Amino acid sequence: MKLKHVAPHKDPDVVRLGTAALREMTELSSSLRHATVLTDDGFEVVGVPAHAADGRLASMASSIQALTEGVANELAIGPSSYVIIASETGHVIQLRIPGQQLVLAALFDGDETLGKALSTARIAAEKFAAALTSR
Amino acid sequence: MSAESGLVAGSRPAVTAPPELSGWAGAATAIHAIQQMTTPMVLNLDIEGHAITIDFAYNAFAGDLPLADLPAYPRTVLVETRTQDLDAAPEIELPGRSLDSLLWLIGYHAFGDEPAPWLVEGHRYRLRRWPSLGELSLSLDQVRMTAMLGNAFATSAELAAAAHTPPADARRLVNGFSTVGILRRSAGAPPLVEAVPDAGEPHPATGLFSRLREKWGR
Amino acid sequence: MEHIILFAGPMGAGKTTAIRTLSDIPVVATEASNSDRAAADKATTTVALDYGEIGVSDEEKVRLYGIPGQRRFDFMWRILRDRAEGMLLLIHNDAPDPLGSMREFLIEFGDLCDRGGVAVGVTRTDVRPGLIVTDYTDFLEQERPDLMAPVMAVDPRDRGNMELLLMSLIANIEMRALYREVPA
Repeated sequence: MKLKHVAPHKDPDVVRLGTAALREMTELSSSLRHATVLTDDGFEVVGVPAHAADGRLASMASSIQALTEGVANELAIGPSSYVIIASETGHVIQLRIPGQQLVLAALFDGDETLGKALSTARIAAEKFAAALTSR
Repeated sequence: MSAESGLVAGSRPAVTAPPELSGWAGAATAIHAIQQMTTPMVLNLDIEGHAITIDFAYNAFAGDLPLADLPAYPRTVLVETRTQDLDAAPEIELPGRSLDSLLWLIGYHAFGDEPAPWLVEGHRYRLRRWPSLGELSLSLDQVRMTAMLGNAFATSAELAAAAHTPPADARRLVNGFSTVGILRRSAGAPPLVEAVPDAGEPHPATGLFSRLREKWGR
Repeated sequence: MEHIILFAGPMGAGKTTAIRTLSDIPVVATEASNSDRAAADKATTTVALDYGEIGVSDEEKVRLYGIPGQRRFDFMWRILRDRAEGMLLLIHNDAPDPLGSMREFLIEFGDLCDRGGVAVGVTRTDVRPGLIVTDYTDFLEQERPDLMAPVMAVDPRDRGNMELLLMSLIANIEMRALYREVPA
């Protein structure tokens, strides 16, 4: 079931389910510094911990998602699966919530392996998608 | 509405164009005189039976003809000016039509290839704002001259030489912009001088503008 | 040789449309569903940038970059403005405060303005006829008498309009450079 026609970041159901999904992420990985769910046009739906990045990560992640999907489309290599920004002291993983106009972006510190970080993010995205669908 | 710099602002009697100013010349002269005044003025024109009313307090005009149908060189233009009270209601239904396009048309055609009589030989002119570009139907040569006048003081002769256009074209452009009321005047500005491009940089005059113009065939 | 021209302005002014009108190539757009219909009644909004090109010759092109209109994407403004030679600022006449919007973008892109690199296109003048183009030029003359920016009413779908606006911008940049040592 697709989201109701209320902006996701203003839908209390979506916010509640998103918060639950992100809290589970923090339990799965102690290296998670910050995670956010954002709308395609850059509004933060929910973030943990709350107010960690002041909404900026949501805007920037939406730009990155759009550029990434644009590149994949231009190269005709199929839809983008995930994006990784690997830096000296941390990694940002972002991927689309399956079937939704929402994106999950998560910052892990450098102690976490990329594989574990990606797996944690994927599980959270799929669980969130399932919860939205079964409302 | 602002006076050109260097002229004494103040209240003067209402102006009617003398009979020897034919075509648009009388209207242009009256417009120029009104622009030096601080008193709100209304100008009524009769162009071979077609009426135009200009309310300078609201920078707008009303008329029954599209501008494209106004004659470039009418046989007769009757001109009547009136003062208005400061708190008077507008003479035309607002918002009216933008004045730039009408004043440009009048000033551009009023004096043929000669400078407007109020322009002083040897004085240099510069825009104080761009005209309302889309309404004036300027050619790209004219756009280039407009950009020059936006960035430097020049006589019409200097403008023509810098733009590689006939002197008469530059004079008409200056006449038009002066009638629109958007030129500053200077008696002491230095001659128009081009900056020398930095080493390795192309000369701006042979730059992208020329090449795009050629690509688009304009 | 390449030249970079930005298309800036508030959401809904017609930046993406204007680039599509001028571009020789299909425009690469990064549009997402608009969650904030109160801000602008349009289905999509630009979230990263739009990209188009004008091929002047085999060795020269003009790159057209459209920036997102909303302030939450102002990091994209900063990334792109440092690379740009000039900017077409599109303001829609039926915006809540078109003159205030114009002022905001002129402040944000002050360096470009100082180089003569801005021209203003006022869109949707047929939708809200209350303000006319000379209101914008008069406002500019009061607020930024040093700016001397071309201003015209445009339909971003009209190629003639957009070519004239772009040519006036380029003329202004070139003439500013040509006469840069002459004081105002």
